Amino acid sequence: METDVERRLGTLYGEIGALARFVENAMKTVSEVGRPLVKSGAELPTVTSHLADLSKMTEEGTLEVMRLTELIQDTRVRLVRECRAIAEASREIGGKTLADRIENVIADLNQDERHLTEIMTALSFQDLVAQRVKKLVVILEDVHEKLMKLVVAFGIQQHRDGRAADGKTEELLRQLEQSRSGGIKQHTADEILARFGFQ
Amino acid sequence: MPADLTMKVLVVDDMATMRRIVKNVLKQLGFSRVEEAENGAEALQKLRAETYGLVVSDWNMPVMTGIDMLRAIRADEKLKSIPVLMVTAEAQQGNLIEAIQAGVSNYIVKPFTAETMQEKLAKIFK
Repeated sequence: METDVERRLGTLYGEIGALARFVENAMKTVSEVGRPLVKSGAELPTVTSHLADLSKMTEEGTLEVMRLTELIQDTRVRLVRECRAIAEASREIGGKTLADRIENVIADLNQDERHLTEIMTALSFQDLVAQRVKKLVVILEDVHEKLMKLVVAFGIQQHRDGRAADGKTEELLRQLEQSRSGGIKQHTADEILARFGFQ
Repeated sequence: MPADLTMKVLVVDDMATMRRIVKNVLKQLGFSRVEEAENGAEALQKLRAETYGLVVSDWNMPVMTGIDMLRAIRADEKLKSIPVLMVTAEAQQGNLIEAIQAGVSNYIVKPFTAETMQEKLAKIFK
């Protein structure tokens, strides 16, 4: 005849079994969801590299625009100087109309000077872009690190059933293996994974 | 604007493009002696080695930030009277109170125009 203790133990085993199945299913789900994450995560360093390139390219482009703008500014300074001399000489020989027209040219050149300075200051967008890119890189690196920890913690791996392995994914997994600290958390996770058939 | 446009000005920024922009604007405003430093630490070295009449500095820089450099300038008996104009990105406006407490002379939010720079310098040297 079943005793009360045996009945309770039976219930407890049943609950433990249900819990074990739940954990197993959860681990399987995490593993299935995790595989594409691993693949996407492997692309993160490439994205970071693209962002760094973007920053570099905008800087190079900006510096070239600056160089050309400064050349125009220098030429303009010389033109104004020459125009002033011509206007002065024209006045001395009684050519007031000519002198006035040259003064108009100088006024236009001065207007252009303001525009050129505005081009220079507008180029400060590059600094703002570079700062945003830097922040994005920091966020991406953080996501990458967290993803790697997640993969290590849940033992997410690619199927090794003969399909060609993604080189970057393999590299990520290699990094993950290297990043294992051997701490209790990982050890415990590995034990749980082993119990539920994760290799 | 200062009466003496021949004073030495130090532009401090880790971005080459921004240093060039600020230098260009200062040149347009009549300053003929503009020098550069890539961070606060390099700027302090230059400030202690030579006499400057104005510092125009970025906020975010590696090695030593603009705000740390500002505090070091204000704590230095020989340098503390040098006007420091901070050039900061819009996102860092919340930090400006910190800059004011540290003794900033004025500030400019990026991106800025030559007119803004002129106006701020006029206030500093009035």
